[in-house]
Amino acid sequence: MAERLLTFSIFRYNPNTPEIKPYMQEYKLEEMPGMTLFVALNKIREEQDPSLMFDFVCRAAICGSCAMLVNGKPRLACKTLTKDLPSRITLLPLPVFKLIGDLSVDTGTWFRHMSLKTEAWIHTTREFDPRAREERMDNETALKIYEAERCIECGCCIAGCATANIREDFLGAAGINRVARFMLDPRDERSPQEYFEVVGTEEGAFGCVGLMACEDNCPMGLPLQMQLAYVRRKMAAAGLAARPQTRAC
Amino acid sequence: MNTQEKLLTRNPRADMLVDLVELASGILLVGFLWTHMLFVAAILLGVTTFDRLSAFLDEYYLSYIGIPFILLVALVHIVVAGRRIPNKWKEQRIILRHSKMLGHTDTWIWVFQTITGMAILVLAGIHVWMVLTGWPIRAVTSAGRIQSFLWFYIILLLAGEYHAGFGLYRQFVKWGWINRHTIGAVLKTITVIIVALGAVTLWAFMRLGGAQ
Ligand code: SF4
Ligand code: SF4
Ligand code: FES
Repeated sequence: MAERLLTFSIFRYNPNTPEIKPYMQEYKLEEMPGMTLFVALNKIREEQDPSLMFDFVCRAAICGSCAMLVNGKPRLACKTLTKDLPSRITLLPLPVFKLIGDLSVDTGTWFRHMSLKTEAWIHTTREFDPRAREERMDNETALKIYEAERCIECGCCIAGCATANIREDFLGAAGINRVARFMLDPRDERSPQEYFEVVGTEEGAFGCVGLMACEDNCPMGLPLQMQLAYVRRKMAAAGLAARPQTRAC
Repeated sequence: MNTQEKLLTRNPRADMLVDLVELASGILLVGFLWTHMLFVAAILLGVTTFDRLSAFLDEYYLSYIGIPFILLVALVHIVVAGRRIPNKWKEQRIILRHSKMLGHTDTWIWVFQTITGMAILVLAGIHVWMVLTGWPIRAVTSAGRIQSFLWFYIILLLAGEYHAGFGLYRQFVKWGWINRHTIGAVLKTITVIIVALGAVTLWAFMRLGGAQ
């Protein structure tokens, strides 16, 4: 197979030098067999431009830190093979998340905020007894929870979502999926009303307009449509069951 | 962040209720649109059938209840569904750029959904005004309207059915009632049938004029 000469057009911006406006910079690179964008970007940084900023940790689609817009679509760079792309490749950092520089964004702050807002931990009044036997969970429930837990917090679903692009407070598919995970968990004692407080508004389930760019761009193939719909149905039921609270004045 | 005015005006259920109103008004409008198409297609069974149907709806006051009711539903739908349309120039630019880059079918469908929605608001408004000022509905008057404004009706037909078909599709997707690709195919088929029926009906009205 004849090796192609790839042209990378890469977004450059450094918040420490705001006087230099964002621009696209081009790099040429000879394609190698089995080359991923992870390999390509490292080669560019080693051989052509040590100032190029981008993130990688696991390079195996586990840590979720390498997501970027590859020819406009949110993708994990470590999972994307150059042979599946045309010879001209445009790379942009993910939108919505705070730009650290070039292709590097801060997804951590966003996801931490989401975890706090959705209170993503088991709410229980039961005392933990370290000497007791571990309680069993039926396999079906465990698998359902595991399905939602496969999210690697890469942010592709948020970047692909038109709503999240214009509404800062929107929890997005990753956030709603997180809530679904706890709703499924029999150990969590939160009532539907308590969940409603968290995702019963336009910041949560009712802000989604159903574009499915989240599901279509999730590199882990999470069933996001069904998770979103599940939370939406639950929240509609909870909202309709609740009596409007009387106000203080 | 909590503030005095936010705490005292907070209605946690408002967003959900508005979403349900959007769903209900949308479904009513789709139902109306498809029924409307069937009624109008009565022309295919002949001028007398069409006129008799119109007179029947008139006689039992169905038109006088139905039309104001549907106008009201449409108004509600405009308010609750219209709020989804980004109204700031900056947001519109972000959405457009986003859609172009993403190249994602469902996102584009939604962009066109907002455009057809606004087009329908204008076109259907004109259509209702023309029909009401030319009351009652008879095959001759309808034929006259269609012959003078054929392009207008073709655009209204396409915009209306597109908006209805995909609007319904999106509700199915959002509530997760049926698998996304199955329901997409079913609704596309229905939409094609209705548009075809609409096209044949328009053609029948065009021919009607030629015979006179
Ligand atoms: S379905 Fe659409 S609006 Fe809803 S979270 Fe996914 S991409 Fe965003
Ligand atoms: S749901 Fe999918 S796309 Fe979204 S953050 Fe998790 S793994 Fe990434
Ligand atoms: S480097 Fe960890 S997911 Fe790509």
